[in-house]
Amino acid sequence: MIRQVVFALALLVTLGVFAFTVRRLAGFFRLTRPGFPVRQIGKRFGVMLKVAFGQTKIFRRPLIGLAHALVFWGFCIILFGSIEMVIDGLAGTDKSLSFLGGFYRFLMGSGDIFAYIVAIAIIIFLVRRIFLHIRRFEGIEMKRISHIDAIIALSLILLLMISLAGMNTGYAGGKILSGEPVKGAYPVSTWLAGLIANKSPESMHTLYEVCWWTHILTIFVFANVLPYSKHFHVFLSVPNVFLSRLEPLGKLTNMDNITREVRLMMNPDTAFAAAPSDVPVERFGVKDAEDVVWKTYFDSLSCTQCGRCTSVCPANITGKKLSPRKVMMDLRARMKEKGPLMTRNGKDYSDNKSLLRDYISEEELWACTTCNACATECPININHPSLIVDMRRYLVMEEASAPGELKTVFSNIENNGAPWQYSSEDRMLWARDLNFSVPLISDYAARGTTPEYLFWVGCAGAFDDRYKKVVRAFVKVLNHLKINYAVLGSEETCTGDPARRAGNEMLFQMQALQVIEVFKSYGVKKIITTCPHCFNIFKNEYPDLGGSYEVVNYLQFLNRYAEEGRLSINAGSLKGKTVTYHDPCYLGRANEIYDEPRALLNRLTGGFTEMERHGSFALCCGAGGAQMFKEAEKGEKEVFIERTEEALRAGAEVIASACPFCMTMLTDGIKYKNREDNVRNLDMAELIAQSLEL
Amino acid sequence: MSVLVYTQNWDGRFKKSSFELVSYGSKVAEMLNTSLVCLSIGAVGDEELRKLGNYGAEKIVRVDNEYCKILDNQVYTDVIAQVALKEDARVIIISNNSEGKAVAPRLSVRLKAGMASGVSKLPLSLNPFTVYKRTYSGNAFAHMVINTEIKIITLSQNSFDLVETPNRAAIENSNITVDSSLIKTVVKDSQKQTGKLLLTDAEIVVSGGRGMKSPDNWGPLVELAGALGAATACSRPVSDEGWRSHEEHTGQTGKVIAPNLYIAIGISGATQHLAGVSSSKYIVAVNTDKDAPIFEVAQYGIVGDALKVLPKLVEAVKELKK
Amino acid sequence: MKILVCISNVPDTTTKVKFVDSDTRLDTAGIQWVINPWDELSLTRALELKDDASAGVKSVTVAHVGPATSEPTIRKALAIGADDAFRVNAVPADSYFVAAQLAAVIRKEQFDIIMCGIESSDYNGSMTGGMIAEFLGIPSVSAVSDIKIENGSPVLTREIDGGREIISVPIPFVAIVQKGIAKEPRIASMRGIMTARTKPVRLYEPEAAEPLTGILVFEKPSPRAACKFIDPENAGLLITLLQNEAKVI
Repeated sequence: MIRQVVFALALLVTLGVFAFTVRRLAGFFRLTRPGFPVRQIGKRFGVMLKVAFGQTKIFRRPLIGLAHALVFWGFCIILFGSIEMVIDGLAGTDKSLSFLGGFYRFLMGSGDIFAYIVAIAIIIFLVRRIFLHIRRFEGIEMKRISHIDAIIALSLILLLMISLAGMNTGYAGGKILSGEPVKGAYPVSTWLAGLIANKSPESMHTLYEVCWWTHILTIFVFANVLPYSKHFHVFLSVPNVFLSRLEPLGKLTNMDNITREVRLMMNPDTAFAAAPSDVPVERFGVKDAEDVVWKTYFDSLSCTQCGRCTSVCPANITGKKLSPRKVMMDLRARMKEKGPLMTRNGKDYSDNKSLLRDYISEEELWACTTCNACATECPININHPSLIVDMRRYLVMEEASAPGELKTVFSNIENNGAPWQYSSEDRMLWARDLNFSVPLISDYAARGTTPEYLFWVGCAGAFDDRYKKVVRAFVKVLNHLKINYAVLGSEETCTGDPARRAGNEMLFQMQALQVIEVFKSYGVKKIITTCPHCFNIFKNEYPDLGGSYEVVNYLQFLNRYAEEGRLSINAGSLKGKTVTYHDPCYLGRANEIYDEPRALLNRLTGGFTEMERHGSFALCCGAGGAQMFKEAEKGEKEVFIERTEEALRAGAEVIASACPFCMTMLTDGIKYKNREDNVRNLDMAELIAQSLEL
Repeated sequence: MSVLVYTQNWDGRFKKSSFELVSYGSKVAEMLNTSLVCLSIGAVGDEELRKLGNYGAEKIVRVDNEYCKILDNQVYTDVIAQVALKEDARVIIISNNSEGKAVAPRLSVRLKAGMASGVSKLPLSLNPFTVYKRTYSGNAFAHMVINTEIKIITLSQNSFDLVETPNRAAIENSNITVDSSLIKTVVKDSQKQTGKLLLTDAEIVVSGGRGMKSPDNWGPLVELAGALGAATACSRPVSDEGWRSHEEHTGQTGKVIAPNLYIAIGISGATQHLAGVSSSKYIVAVNTDKDAPIFEVAQYGIVGDALKVLPKLVEAVKELKK
Repeated sequence: MKILVCISNVPDTTTKVKFVDSDTRLDTAGIQWVINPWDELSLTRALELKDDASAGVKSVTVAHVGPATSEPTIRKALAIGADDAFRVNAVPADSYFVAAQLAAVIRKEQFDIIMCGIESSDYNGSMTGGMIAEFLGIPSVSAVSDIKIENGSPVLTREIDGGREIISVPIPFVAIVQKGIAKEPRIASMRGIMTARTKPVRLYEPEAAEPLTGILVFEKPSPRAACKFIDPENAGLLITLLQNEAKVI
């Protein structure tokens, strides 16, 4: 009886404290922005099963991933035992769930095994943390408190496992000694009990009781400590995975309040009419903790500071200040600081500090290449790039602040429709020296027809001297395959990708709406493009603005033809050469297109060499996120040199690429390393055209 | 009537551009069948002034008193206007340099004299008075008509050859005065640049790229720049590698310059680099790759090894400057 | 202190200039019009001064002489941050005409500092600023690479051959500014764009004034010749050509 009362009191206190914590956090959530409607429940369950319960992202680092997976699965199983303990504690029963029979034996048995497995795993983790120097546990954001937090949490879990093992050993040992039936199965503990000399039913029972209380009280304490620790992820990880972003990583969310304004501006009748009085008071982008969408705050609470994101960040790897982990930790810390102040003094309260600059510097924000390695790596699907871009959006749209070179890019896109200063009249110069004429869609329109495909050349294809050769190679292939296509020629204008990645949502939407208008006027339905950035934006982002097309990347397109036997590629000039493939971030991680390029490359080479970091692990070339157009932020090394070195380590004589930016970076990298004489960077289109002898 | 040329002096000395102005003015005077008067403001010695006579100045008016020590636009305008009226000047010629740009427009309003700036040829016709001037940043030229009795022309630097004439110059010391209430400019500090020529100011720039292979090879390039009185620059990879100072980086993300002459040594001409130098009046490229994009924008090119070519260029320049 | 920034409306720098009507006027078809780059820098500096509370700048006004089709460019300047603007409704016939119009309005509206870009990318005249000053009988300073306001007084940096001078002139004055006056042009923030629509643009009809010059015809420069290649063995020839043919050394 007393036991039940004491237990009930303990439970009450625990729940009380927990309720206080939940209320506090709910208050913080109320300060954030709505957005992120939770739909597609079925698909979400699927993601949850795969990523959370299947631990697929954790297994990206196989060995230590296995250790974590075991701990997680152990926790899931042991959870049942803990639920039973609460019921037992309140009702005064003993092993109340044992009526489940065989299933109960399975639960308890596996729970028992896991107790020891988890304990060993935790010991491995502790040893690793304390004695080994693991790079991703370090960083300017990893202060002493983080390390202590981790050690405490791990120690508590170890205590939980030891107390569970003790419980089971005491229970099984005691029951066997006194000849009573054992409810459930405890294989390892039973064996362990057998090893204990000089035991009695009483001492075993004491062991059981002590460990029982230790275990459940530790759970109560742990449960209330977790929300204030980095291990909040124990509660939040599975829900966070359920709430994952389901769209391709390459897609950025549309700012609908900007769309309204842009449409007004593009309509000459309203352009200078007095503005409707609904100039939104709401801030554009994110400056402080309350500006984030609730899901982003949820992300920051779920983050356990594992640092896998930072360890794959190309900026961080090369010594720049940016650390995706720090971005999430800073958001959490800032809300912890400002949340209570706003809850108490109202949402407009200002403490003259901000997430921007006081926590996250502009230098960090401008170092991001939007390669999505962090989001891909995160075991619980946190999306860091969206927060980084949202903060860029604030800088550009509210403060008109951006690195000087990017302001020039914005002006160029606005004034002459390309990131560099070139006249749109020159957009067909690349097609000059071909021995056939590249069809213009305006010619089709004049004849009253439309081509099947629009081949979108892009600004690099039109103006970048090296990449013009790629576009030429590709139309030769299109010509060879007798594809019914046309280009827009001088009517092309920038898709707006560099503007959007750099946070200039307004300029992006202006460009996008313009392009959509042109597409509409020509009845464009299918688009082929060689540039992954253009591909990504057409496929994933233009639909939000009313432009939906069938968008296909040239490698998908050509692979289809190759598989259907309509494009016969043979190894030819590449035979005997070591070839490697560099995954463009906007084709790979952003859109998960890894296989088609490889299928094509296999046909071209009869077998190529992969770089160490390839596929979804591929290292960015360093040009994305508008980095191409600006000076790199301060760091130890340039990203493109890091990647080129990796390609050279693979022994590559030919580096195959599939993006104009990657090509610029890799070609520069080869020059830097003085390997121009024996290493070449060629685009897949060039390799294919070559093999067809075009 | 006369043609008046205002020749600026630098610490009492004239430059090549001064003599270009006089040569030009002399030809215009010839076209108009009148005499050429030169105006000099400030302390310039007789011997220096007489040099103007070598290019056609017949009368040289010297105005030198306390209020001419610093450039006050109103003061200088007043002086030139007074002299112009006194000499019954019909055409006033001033250099299109910073001082010319400061003073000529005021003079135009003062005398209600139509003005054409950035002229690079002798008048195309006298009736109507038509000049050839630069527009659209060099993408076009205009035949501009000046409809007033007095005309002002500012001459682009480096656009007219020197023409020597027998010297018949006579120096006249002017005694015109300026209303003291006109003097409003106060100079608080003056910083004369010593030594290094600013890249963005330089008329000639010699620039090196990765084709130079190593920072140790920069000697001849610096020598060439020195011989030409040029500033040095470099492409991005070179500054990134630390071979040359960041200050020298020209290109889209570096400095954007528009010198009269840009000599690119071992630079391929990537888009980003060209974005920084394409407004140069003349581009010369030296590169081992005949297909390097730089040759598409260069007027002169040498396909060869920079390290072998540079010493030859240095020698040729030294010969020239003798 | 009230600052006035004069802006002109020019074709974007990548425009391929073409002429029509027997080459007497610019072909405006398809042209993207922008604020003259020098004026953009000028405006940026003016706004920087306004942002600095210690400088005591009350307002930044933008001035333009042009027809109604220039309106978008004026709105762009307002979006970047100018408080208000005025436009003289006339085709800018020549610099003298433009300066006369601007001077007339400035006499009515009164400003302390008038800033003009040293040249515009269409006519490269470098005239309007100085002309305005002379019309108004006020001082002008040209080749200004910096304006500061110290203790309520403007201090200018003027570039001269071989150096620079720090000078001051009494207000009101015209500052004719060149590149360097601001590090890079400011861009419009989202809110700037949204509020630009409602900022006041005062309209003035032109005063009677005759342009003193006119353009008869335009001419395109001879097409860029293909690169002249010189034998590396005879590299010295390059120097000779640069001196005698190109006349750049």
